[in-house]
Amino acid sequence: MTPAQEVDYILNDCFFAVGQAVGTEKSIDFNVIQWWRARYRAFFLHAMTVNGNSWLKDRKRVTAVGRFLGQRALFHAAERPSIDLQTAALASHDVETGCRMSAERDGVAPQRLGEQ
Amino acid sequence: MNTQEPRISIHTGIATRSDATVTSALVDSTSPVNALELERQVDYIMDECLFALGQAVGMRTTIDYDAVVWIRDNYRAKFLSAMKAFGDRWQRDRSNVTSVAMMLGERAVRYSEGKPSIDLDSVLKAAADVERHCELHARRTARKMGLNPSDAAATRIAGYWCNF
Repeated sequence: MTPAQEVDYILNDCFFAVGQAVGTEKSIDFNVIQWWRARYRAFFLHAMTVNGNSWLKDRKRVTAVGRFLGQRALFHAAERPSIDLQTAALASHDVETGCRMSAERDGVAPQRLGEQ
Repeated sequence: MNTQEPRISIHTGIATRSDATVTSALVDSTSPVNALELERQVDYIMDECLFALGQAVGMRTTIDYDAVVWIRDNYRAKFLSAMKAFGDRWQRDRSNVTSVAMMLGERAVRYSEGKPSIDLDSVLKAAADVERHCELHARRTARKMGLNPSDAAATRIAGYWCNF
C-alpha cells in the first residue's frame, strides 16, 4: 500500500480517537471534518514520506494525541452545541504546540529560539 | 458536490425510486469530474462516520487497526456505490447515517465484552446486526411508501446508505 492509500486508514483511525474523547454530548460541524482531514492528511503524508510508514509502531501514541485533540475541542466548545471551525482551530493549536515542544525536548525538531 | 434540490419531497434519509431516477440523471456519475468529486466526498463521510463510531464507544475501550481497515473498506465501497447512483445526499442524510454509525459502535462494544479492545470479529458481528436493522427499516419504509417490500430493488433504495 502506498503512503497516499495508507494515510486514509490512519485518518479514519484518528477520527475514531477524536470522537472517543468528544463523546456524545456534542456534535461536530461537517466543515471541521473537512478542515482536519486536509490539515492532518498533509502532515501525516509528509511524515510518512520523510520517515517511512511506522503507523503500527506509532499508533498508540498518535491516537492518544487524537484523543487529546478531542478533549481540547470539547474544552474550547464550552457551551456551544457543536464543535465548529474556530473551536477546532484552537484545539489544533493547543495540540500542535504540545507536539512541537515534545519534539524539541526529544531532539527530533530544532528548538525555535525566541519563542516561549 | 451535487447541490441540486430534488423535485420530489422526500422523507429524511430515504431515497425513493423516482428520486433515484431524477438524481441519477442530475448527477451523471459517469463524468470523470463528478466521479473524482464523489471519491473526495466519500472520504469526508468515512471520517465523520468513524468520528461518530468513536463518540459512541467513548473511553470504554479501544479498537484494533484491522477492524478500522475493515470498516473503511466495507462501507466506503457501499457509500460510493450509493452516491454514484443517487448523488451526494450527505448533508440531508448525515444525521441518520451517523446515528447508525453510533449504533454500530454500541453493538461493537457489546460484542467485545471481555476482550481487551474491539476486534475484527466484534465489528463483523456488530455490522451484521446493524445491516439487518437497516434492511428491516428499509422494508418498513418501502411498505409505507407503497412499494413492494419484497422487491429487492425497492428496499435497497429505501435503505441505500448501508444496504447498497
